[in-house]
Formats: sequence, structure tokens, C-alpha cells
Amino acid sequence: MPVSALSGEALGASLPPLLVEAQRVAATVEQGVHGRRRVGMGDSFWQFRPYRAGDEIRDIDWRQSARGDRSFVREREWEAAQTVFLWIDRSPSMDFASAKGLPTKADRAALLGLALASLLLRGGERVGLIGRGPTGHAGRPWLLNLAEILSRPEPSPTSLPPLADLPRDCRVVIIGDLLRPEAEIETLIESFAARGAKGHLVQVLDPAEADFPYAGRNRFIGTEGEGQLLVGRAETLAEAYRRRLAAHYDAIENTARRIGWGVMRHQVDRPPAATLLALFLALADLGRR
Amino acid sequence: MLGLGALGFSAPWLLLGLSALPVIWWLVRLTPPAPRQTRFPALALLLDLPQRQETPERTPWWLILLRLLLAGLVIIGLAGPVLDPSRATGGSGPLLIVIDDGWAAASHWRERIAALEPRILAAESAGRPIRLLTTAPDAAGPRPAPALTTYAELKGAVAALAPKPWPVDRAAAAKVLEALPDDAVGESLWLDDGLEDGHGEALAAALRRFGPVTRLSLGPGHAAFALDAPRLVAEGLAVDIARAEADGPRRLTLVARNESGQVLGREIAEIGPDEAGHGVTIDLPPELRNKVVRIDIPEEASAAATRLMDGRWRRRIVGLAFDGGDEALRPLVSEAYFLERALSPFADVRRAPLARLLEAPPSVIVLPDIGHVPAAQRPALEAFIEKGGVLLRFAGARFAASADDLLPVRIRAGDRALGGALSWTEPASIAPFAADSPFAGLVPSPDVKVFRQVLAEPSLELDARTWARLTDGTPLITGARRGAGLLVLVHTSANSDWSSLALSGLFVDLLRRITGLAEGEGGAIEGNRALPPLASLDGFGHLGGVSQGAGPIAADRIAETPPGPRSPPGFYGDPAARQALNLSPDLDALAPLPDMAGVTVALPEVAPALALGPWLILAALALLALDILVALRLTGRLVPTALGALALILAQPIERARAIEPAEAAAEIHLAYVVTGDAATDDMSLAGLRGLSAALAQRTSVEPGAPVGLDLASDELALFPVIYWPMVAGFDPGPEAMARLDGFIKAGGVVLFDTRDIAQGTGVLPGGAGSAGDETLRLVLSRLDVPPLVPVPADHVLTKSFYLLQNFPGRYEGGQVWVEANASPANDGVSGYVVGPNDWAAAWAADDQGRPLAALEPGGSRQREMALRFGINLVLYALTGNYKADQVHVPALLERLGQ
Repeated sequence: MPVSALSGEALGASLPPLLVEAQRVAATVEQGVHGRRRVGMGDSFWQFRPYRAGDEIRDIDWRQSARGDRSFVREREWEAAQTVFLWIDRSPSMDFASAKGLPTKADRAALLGLALASLLLRGGERVGLIGRGPTGHAGRPWLLNLAEILSRPEPSPTSLPPLADLPRDCRVVIIGDLLRPEAEIETLIESFAARGAKGHLVQVLDPAEADFPYAGRNRFIGTEGEGQLLVGRAETLAEAYRRRLAAHYDAIENTARRIGWGVMRHQVDRPPAATLLALFLALADLGRR
Repeated sequence: MLGLGALGFSAPWLLLGLSALPVIWWLVRLTPPAPRQTRFPALALLLDLPQRQETPERTPWWLILLRLLLAGLVIIGLAGPVLDPSRATGGSGPLLIVIDDGWAAASHWRERIAALEPRILAAESAGRPIRLLTTAPDAAGPRPAPALTTYAELKGAVAALAPKPWPVDRAAAAKVLEALPDDAVGESLWLDDGLEDGHGEALAAALRRFGPVTRLSLGPGHAAFALDAPRLVAEGLAVDIARAEADGPRRLTLVARNESGQVLGREIAEIGPDEAGHGVTIDLPPELRNKVVRIDIPEEASAAATRLMDGRWRRRIVGLAFDGGDEALRPLVSEAYFLERALSPFADVRRAPLARLLEAPPSVIVLPDIGHVPAAQRPALEAFIEKGGVLLRFAGARFAASADDLLPVRIRAGDRALGGALSWTEPASIAPFAADSPFAGLVPSPDVKVFRQVLAEPSLELDARTWARLTDGTPLITGARRGAGLLVLVHTSANSDWSSLALSGLFVDLLRRITGLAEGEGGAIEGNRALPPLASLDGFGHLGGVSQGAGPIAADRIAETPPGPRSPPGFYGDPAARQALNLSPDLDALAPLPDMAGVTVALPEVAPALALGPWLILAALALLALDILVALRLTGRLVPTALGALALILAQPIERARAIEPAEAAAEIHLAYVVTGDAATDDMSLAGLRGLSAALAQRTSVEPGAPVGLDLASDELALFPVIYWPMVAGFDPGPEAMARLDGFIKAGGVVLFDTRDIAQGTGVLPGGAGSAGDETLRLVLSRLDVPPLVPVPADHVLTKSFYLLQNFPGRYEGGQVWVEANASPANDGVSGYVVGPNDWAAAWAADDQGRPLAALEPGGSRQREMALRFGINLVLYALTGNYKADQVHVPALLERLGQ
């Protein structure tokens, strides 16, 4: 599946714009509090709108509602922008698809990343890439830049982001297969957390990696120079492998939960929208907390 | 060549390669199939798992077996195994090969020689001395005893051997063998021709003297056919064919050809399994019949299955000018009665008034006792003679009273009576015919007496013009050339009034000779003149140059000369008056060779010397393909879905071929014909419509595609504007198909029903008379909802839709064409039925080079052109409807407009 700004946009368009609640607004806002001329969390009144299922009861403006038959919700102007830094794994291990009809993991990761960026930019947030400067950028043109950057090959790809200089209190979203040793991942997110960044890890896996459907005599070749493994009867390894994979995931999840990060897993044979939605909700949860 | 029984190897040392099989087994066993190569990003996790000790992979036993089999097949296949059953038959000592090369061997000559070849090869590989003897005599005369020969010479001789157009002489062959000592031959192989000549046992006995005898016979279904002399019958030529033995059903074609080899008539003979002989009548109108010079059976291709026909075979058409006269009063003694009886054995007699005869002039016109040719017909009659016709006149009472001058000699007025009460003279008999007379060779009977005659004026040329005289020297028959034709006068009457000539057999012979002069052929041939060979038949029935050793035959002995090396079948004489000598085996005496004691009958091997090598290599290739599939599967490069797709492709059912796809048929105009199931008719229909399509494309804006053969029951008819339906006896498309055809016609289609037989009468609707085509047409039309039909009116659109036509000839001329009386205005006034007898497809048919395929009657390029014009008119009529009918009113409209 080719990645482009448009396909990311198309995926993002199917979701309502998500606003990330700013936490500790003052620390990250560059230009101070100002009206964004949009619905958002702020102190100044923005507009009334009819109550919709799902709105919180406490948001209903009773005074306004009492004037007519319908209930109205008071919306306030959104007053803060937040920077979300993305990391999209483009290492050789991501260039893998077990079947012809499936996209490679790299394609799917880039799609998820772009869709997320598109939604964030539409909501007025700033989006940056880890390793490409300490600042994020706002506005639609930046989305096109992002797509272009992602479509160019990385000169020296690594699985995990470098420990770059990030502004404090930003958000970090790491999309990749996370098939590195648990300790390495733990070190990484702990050092991000130490700088006040909160974030999410999205593990993108091929179904073959998740299920290990191989049988018979196989020579498994690593994609990042791990070497080879000749297995006489691959089916005997399947159970142990699945347990090992689950343990790996659990270890990452435990670490993340401990420091307030989120982890989710995405398989490329599933629709990306579900994962994207979950990712947004998770970002929103972080903001609301 | 090393051999194991019937199995031999051409390169046996290659079999040593089989000893390498254990090594191959060891190698294959040690080299397991390569593991599947799998890229796996999560390898790091896998490496974390505790690894078990891997046992070395072993190749599965069935894969080892497959590969060993493959290697074995290749080695054995390269060693060149040959399965040759004849190798198994032992035998020792010199081998004598006896070949029957008489006429009966010609029809399956290649098979016979092919049956012999493996035997020769086997004997050669066994290194046996060999001798060759053929049983048919040849021009070189008696042969010496067969000498030992080399195999190279023998193969050359067998390859050069051709069947002779005369029978074998086994008695002579047996005599030749007497000269050989007993030990000169150890075994005999006799390739027979299946026909007993009365001396088969003699030859068998001569061969048995040497040792075992094997008779190589082709077996059932190969008996040779012979043609009997054709007989002239009303419909054409009747021919009997026969074989020595009823050995299964056969299907033969009898073909009558003219001088240049064109086919004039063709008839299929279906010979039943138990039928030894069969009578066939080749349907030929008299005009075509006269042009037949050869009848043969192409499937047989032998001299006995070929009949040459000389001038004697031609039936002339003799016109008997007669206008009533005394016929009605004295029917049994009238001249017309005598003449008709005398002419009918060899000529077609047409009785009509002279004026009618001259409209379609016959070869000979007979005027019995007519003194003055009517002045109105005189110029036409003279023109007829000038162009080569023969006018035969008889004297009589009226003639004697006053005769005109359209005669070979001048005649004195009055007649001369011989004998009788008032005369001293006796009735005179006929003098022997002079050698230069056209009647030379005939013997006049002394019983024939002439009582009265007319006398010629003496003149200088009278003697030269006298063909027959009475014993007193007065001319009885005189003749003279006039232009290309002849004037002949018989100086006595054609009935018994004036002579007893008309009562004698001589009368018939005289008339036959005179009629024979009609086309300048079959003229008198003197009794003992030697006829040089002109062209000879070879054993396969090809008429070619004079064969070697052929000599002249005395003219009077040609009938009893047996065909042989000195007198091969063929034509003798000079090109103008040639005589045919045919190989005429007595059909009743044809008998198969009986089983003989001490003679083993062998059939040719079904698969002589089958070389197995290529098949083994092929099998090895198939195994190799299987091995590749297996290897791909084992290394994971072949997924089951690919196998399934492959199987699907292989299992793709083959759809029934339709005559034409509807979309294709609708894209352009196609002429169509009904497929009747009779191959000859269908081929002719296809060729005819192809010819018509070409003419349409060339001359009109209609450019039809290739013609389409229709199955009435299943094909879509509505796509075709015109359907041509030739009537074939016994073809019945069934009621459902007829209902479809009815719908087609009612919806505006045009069908040309062609009964393909000439119905000369002009007022009879085809289907009312009784010919086969008419019967079929009647059956067909009874199933259709036929509106009233009328003969094509003179102003019908069909006569002017493209060309202006007045008649519609096809292969025949003059048959009446019928159309609907009041064609429905719904169909634009187009008659859906066009019915006629003229066999149009045959006239349209042309081969790839544009040469016509069928002879026309009466013939000529003009008739073919007219037939094509009719076809073009018909197609344009079907396509444009009554458009041209409207043009009729144009003059009237213009006049009304004051133009």
C-alpha cells in the first residue's frame, strides 16, 4: 500500500478531529495563551451547540437550555496547542510482508503516523518528527512535508528513536515493531519520561510474526543481520515462540504502565482505523488527565 | 545391434550407465532437498528459544525412487531400445522374397511395401542371404532364376518396384523357381496381392520345396476392386464393381472424367460388409455422358479400377425429323418406328419436327423420305451441317417423286424397282464394303435384299462418294462432306417397304457407323490395321506415355487381346480415332487366395519396429517436471493455490465449436447454406457461396464475409439474409428446425430451395414431379406454411434487382424458378421462397484460383456468368426488397411531371 499524504488524509477524515488537551499548557505553549478561534478547552465562551449523546452532563448550560425546548452545551474556545513528536520505524525489519495481499509493516506504520499527524494538524496541534529538530510545525503544508520525508529512504535506519532533544511536556508516539530487547526499550522510554514526555508505543506486527504459521524444514534469515536459524520442524517451535512474543509484549507493557505510557499492538491484516481511533482516544485521555 | 527377444538396442554400451545408479542413489540420499528460505524479522525472539538438536534431514524415499527412475529412463532411452516383433521370428538360411506385383496389389501398394520392410530389416540384421522374385510378367520376357543380391540392391529394387497394370503369372514364377537348387533358399516370404489366379497352389508348392513359407497378407478390408465395362442407361452410366472377397464395408467414389480430367459425375458406392460386388449408376445427362473418357475409383488407384472409354462409348443424340405423317396410320411399319428401334441401342433419339430439332441441334439429323427440306428450315439445316452435323436422309416414295439438292450426289427423278412382276431383275443384295468405306469391316448378309432404290446421276465424284453398293454396282449409300459436316443418303427407304435392310442387324451397324462419324471420331478402322499404342495406363491407373515394351495391336483383335507387358491397357490407334484397351478382369471369377497347406499366413505388424527411445526420454521429461514441482513444493516456492490454478487451466472444458459466433455473424453480411450432412453437397454449397461472395464483393457494394454452414436445428438463422438449401434425398432437419425456418421466412428471410435436378418441363412446380430432389422438396415444403407460388413473372424484381435477367440458369438451364405469388408487404414485397431446380451452387463454385469446379450443361462461360448474375440479383433482392420495383414507375412519373 503506497503511503501518501492523501491516503493518510483519507483515513483521518473518517474520524472527528481530536483535540489534545494540553497539560501544563504554559510549559509548552510558545506564544502564550491565545484564542484559537475553535472549539476547545478554554475559559472564554465560544458557542452554544445542541446537546448530542455522549456529551458530559456537566457541560450542559442550563441557563441557555431553559430558554427553549432543547438542551444546549456551552463550548469554550480552545486555547492551547501541543506538540506531538512521532517516530516511525523504517528499519529493514519493517520491510516485511508475509503474504502478497498484505502491506509491509513499514507501509502500515507510515500510514498510521501520517493519519495521526493529519488529525493533529487539523486540530491545530503541532507535529514533529523525532530526530528532525526540537520543534514541531503546524498547518496543512507540514503534513505534505511529513509525507515526503517518510517516503524518502532513511540514511541509517534504526528501530528505536534516538534520544533526541525534545521540548518538555511534549507527546511522543513511537510506531514500529518494537522487536528489540525489552531492556533497550525500557531504557528508551524511561529516558523520554525523565524529560517529561508522555507517549504511546504502537507495535505493528505482521500476522506471520504474531502467529508463526511455518511448518517443515525452514531456514529463517534475520532482516537486520541477526544471522540465520535452520529449523527442521518449524511447527514444533510455534508454541514457544508465541509465548516468547507475549512475554516480550508484557514486559514492554509493564514498563510503560509503570511510567504512564500506553502500548497497543496493531496487525497489518486488520483495518488501521481501529488502531488510529484507539490511539487518539488514548492521546485524549492523556490530555484529560 | 544387441537384442533381448523382440527388444533391441541401437547403442547398447550406454546401458553401462545403469551401473551408476547406486552412486546416484547414494548422492541423492545424502543431499536432502534444500530448506525453505524464510525471511523473518522476529528472528531475535526465535534465537532466544532453547534450540533442540537437529537431526540431519534425509531425502524422502519416494523422492529417491523418483530420481533413480528418472536417471534409469534417460539411460535406457539413450541406449535406443527398439521393439520389433518381427525380430522374434527366427529362421535361417537364405531368404526368398516373392512379391505379387499385379494389378490387384496397386490399391494398397504402400501398405504392402511397408509390411515387407521390417522383414527385410530383420533379415538384414540377421545377415541372411536374400533373393527377390516378382510374379507379374514384364516386357523383358522370361526371367532367370532369382539370384542372390545385396541388401542395398534389394532395397533399391523394392523401392523402385511398381505394380503392373496386368495380372500376375504365378505359373511362370513357379517355373522360374525350378531352376534353383533345393539349398538355394531356406525360407520364403510371399507378399501376396490377395487374388487367386488359378496357380496360387503351384507357386506355393514351388516355395514349399525350399522350406517354410510365410505369406504376408494385408488382411481384411484390403481386397482390390475392379470395374466392369460401363453400360449406357437412361440416367447415365451404370458400372459394376466387384472384389474378390467380401471383407468388410468400404466406401468408394466413382468418378467420371472428361478428356482433360475434369470431373463430370461422381457417385459414392457404399459397399456393405458382406457385399462382394456392387452396381453404381453415375448420374450424367446425355450431353455430359458423351464427354466421358474415363471412369475410375480414386480410392483404389489401380488399373483395374480405371476404365478408359473411346468413341464407341459415346451416345450420340440423333434427331428424327418427323411431323406425324403416316406414323399414325401405320405405327409399326413407319420409317420413324424402324429408325427409332435401330438407333436406340447406341444413341439418344429425339423425335420432333425439323424446326424444333434445329433449335437445339443434335449430332445427327435423320430425314426419312422427305423430298424437299422446307424452305424455312433450309438455311438452319445447312448451317447445322457446315458446323459439323451429320444429315442422314432416306429415300422413299415421296423422295423419289421429287428431291431437292441437299444431297451428297445428284439423284435421278423416279425410282428403280428390282424384281417384281414387271421386271427381269432380281432384288439385289449388298456388295462387300470397300476397304476405304466407313463401313469397312462390316459383313453384309446375303439375305438382305433391296427391291427399290433411287439412282444417282453418274458423275466424276460418284464413285468416291459411294460408301456402299449393291451387288450390281449401283450406290446404296452415298456420303459427302459439306463444311465440317456430312451429308449421307441411303438410297432406299428406312422401313421395309423398299428393302429388307431395315429388318437386318446390319441396319443397326450401319447406323452406328454413320452416327459414329458425327463427332469425327470412331470412324472406320480397317480390319487388320495395326494400332500403335497411344497412351498407356500404369499400375496405379495413371494414363501416361506409352509404356516400355508396348507394341501395336491389330484393330480387329483389340477386343480379345489380354492386357500384358506387350499390350498394356491404354489407348491405341491415332488421336482422332483411338481405341481403348482395358484391363477387364472377369468380375465373377475374382476369388481370394485360399489357405494353403504348409503356408503360414502372417499379417503385417501393427507397430513395426517401434523405437521406444523417444518415449522413454519423454517419460523422463515428465518425471523431471514432476520432480521440479516436488522440489518447488518442498522449498515452499510453490503454493497450493498455484497448483489449483494450473489444474483449472488444464481442466478447462473445450466448448463446442459453433458455426459462427452471433456477434461475428452480425458484424457483416454472411451468405449461409443448410448443412445437409452429405459431404459432397455441403462442399459444393460452401464453394458455390464462396464464389458468389467473391462476385458480390467484386461487382457490388455488398461485401459478404465467409459463407456459413447452418445447422437448422441449433444455429441462429435471423443473422443471415439469404439461406441456400440444396435438396438432398434423405435429409430431414426435423419438425422443430422447420418451425424455426418458417419463422425465419415469415420474419423476412429469403430461402433459395434448390432441387438440383433439371426439370425440363416449364410448367411444372418442382415438388410435383418425381425426382429425388423434388421428393425431398415436397417433404420440406409440407412442413412449412407455404403461400401460393408462381413462376417468376417477367417483370419480377428478381429480374432486375441488379442485372437485367430473363432466365436464371445454374448448372442446368431452363428449369423454372418459382416465387411467392403475393409476397407480404410486411416483408417489403420480398418473396421468402425462391424455388428452382438449376443447381446454382455448382455453377457458382470456384476453387481458390477462381477456376470453376463443376461442368455446366449445356455449358459455356456465358451460362456461368448468367448463373452468377442470378445469384447477385437474389442477394440484392433479399437485401433491398422492392426498391427496384419502384423504379418501374419512374417513366410514368416523369411523364406526368411533363419532363
